[in-house]
Amino acid sequence: MFGWLERNPFFFSLAFVFVFSIAGLVEILPGFAKTARPLEGLRPYSVLETAGRQVYIEEGCYNCHSQLVRPFKAETDRYGPYSLSGEYAYDRPFLWGSKRTGPDLHRVGDNRSTDWHDYHMWDPTSVVPGSIMPAYKHLYKNNADFETAYAEAYTQKVVFAVPYDIEGGVKLGDIQMAKELFYQEAEKIVADMKNEQVKEAFQKGEIKKIVALIAYLNSLGQSRMAPKGE
Amino acid sequence: MQWFNLSDPINLISAIGAVVILGLTAFVSNFYINKMKTSNPKGELSGEEWDGIGKFKNNVPFGWGICFMFVMIWGFWYIFVGYPLNSFSQIGQYNQEVAAYNEKYQKKWENLSQNDLVAMGESMFLVQCSQCHGVTADGMQGKAQNLTHWGKEEGILHTIKYGSKGLGFPLGEMPPVELSEADAKAVAAYVMGEISEVKNTKYPADVAKGKEVFNTAGCTACHGEDGKGMDGSAPDLSTYGTSKFLSYVLENGKHGEIGRMPSFKFAQFNEVQIKALSAYIESLEDLN
Repeated sequence: MFGWLERNPFFFSLAFVFVFSIAGLVEILPGFAKTARPLEGLRPYSVLETAGRQVYIEEGCYNCHSQLVRPFKAETDRYGPYSLSGEYAYDRPFLWGSKRTGPDLHRVGDNRSTDWHDYHMWDPTSVVPGSIMPAYKHLYKNNADFETAYAEAYTQKVVFAVPYDIEGGVKLGDIQMAKELFYQEAEKIVADMKNEQVKEAFQKGEIKKIVALIAYLNSLGQSRMAPKGE
Repeated sequence: MQWFNLSDPINLISAIGAVVILGLTAFVSNFYINKMKTSNPKGELSGEEWDGIGKFKNNVPFGWGICFMFVMIWGFWYIFVGYPLNSFSQIGQYNQEVAAYNEKYQKKWENLSQNDLVAMGESMFLVQCSQCHGVTADGMQGKAQNLTHWGKEEGILHTIKYGSKGLGFPLGEMPPVELSEADAKAVAAYVMGEISEVKNTKYPADVAKGKEVFNTAGCTACHGEDGKGMDGSAPDLSTYGTSKFLSYVLENGKHGEIGRMPSFKFAQFNEVQIKALSAYIESLEDLN
């Protein structure tokens, strides 16, 4: 057989491709059998959270923080319940991250609060002595980008059939309505914050990036698996 | 020479192993070098020749072939029947790990001394609570509740002076109460010494006076005459300073003046852990 293959380069290539693809097929095919579906009750990100997610991406938070709690006792003890594949269904792209210079953030909404994030982003060592995280004071100065966030959420709805505007779910609506909701949601976050600059800016109708980022971080947790508002 | 101490069995076994391997290597290489010099292989040549080097047409050795076939059959069985591709569950593995851990936990912490509880509570505190309450539990200059006085007389004094909100009781927010310092101290003594299950106060002399103040200053309007909070309308002071109060806060969180403490239901602490955490908080010295 091999002697024959040696004399027939075309069939040799075919045999080569077949043999070397076995390892790949064994890895890939089972993945199709267990397709990831959104968890029941998982809600998509609101526009403010989407804006926060964009801040998270542009600041490169994933360079130091992961968002994937593995099912090991040591991990769940420290970070909270393990992550399930269906929780990432509305994440485009997912932000698992591969490094843990800082702690895993996939459950951070369960165990931190708005005012904590406020202190932490302004001056990390004020709440975590010895933290090497840089301060993110510029997030208190720059405004969150509503238009891009709305565009992204709208794309999610139209192109990827992410269930916005369903009964009891996250409302998106047209751009006017979305903007209103954007402000309503930000108001709650700002009320819980301690930073005066952000509060003043909000009075003037500006929503700082930090507000969006905190909204996003608060959404990372088990509460995302329940209808919003609970 | 410590590393060559042959009375240590590991060193001895390694030394024997090293000698055996050296001996075998010498024997095998000697055998094959001699064979190369003298042997003259026989067999049918395949006819192909590459620059004067030919190839025998030997069959696969019989025993080797049998083993090879056996491993292939076993491989198919293992992948498709014995342990099919889809049958591995990481979550199942996690559940096993947790079950084994819980069993070990139960055994190890069957009879906890107070010191063990405090030590266990401290390590839990550092992992789960210190990010907001500070490594020393003093609440980091008012960023969170100062736990070094919480659950003690000083905590009650603080609550009387500044009020309290956010525990989610039907009667809602407790406003600051105007009491003289001596009266407030007496109430604290009464709560800790009489009402609370702790039944121990730093100011035993003030208890009687505290009872009087408690009944006249309006505390009973919400907490009831027995301090038990009138069936859940207000905090049950008989649990103050005990792990029951702590477990209530861990379960529900608190949205107070300082900020929001989230519910720690997600962490699924067991009873021993809450007791330990409470023991640690009780053991703290008041920092201001």
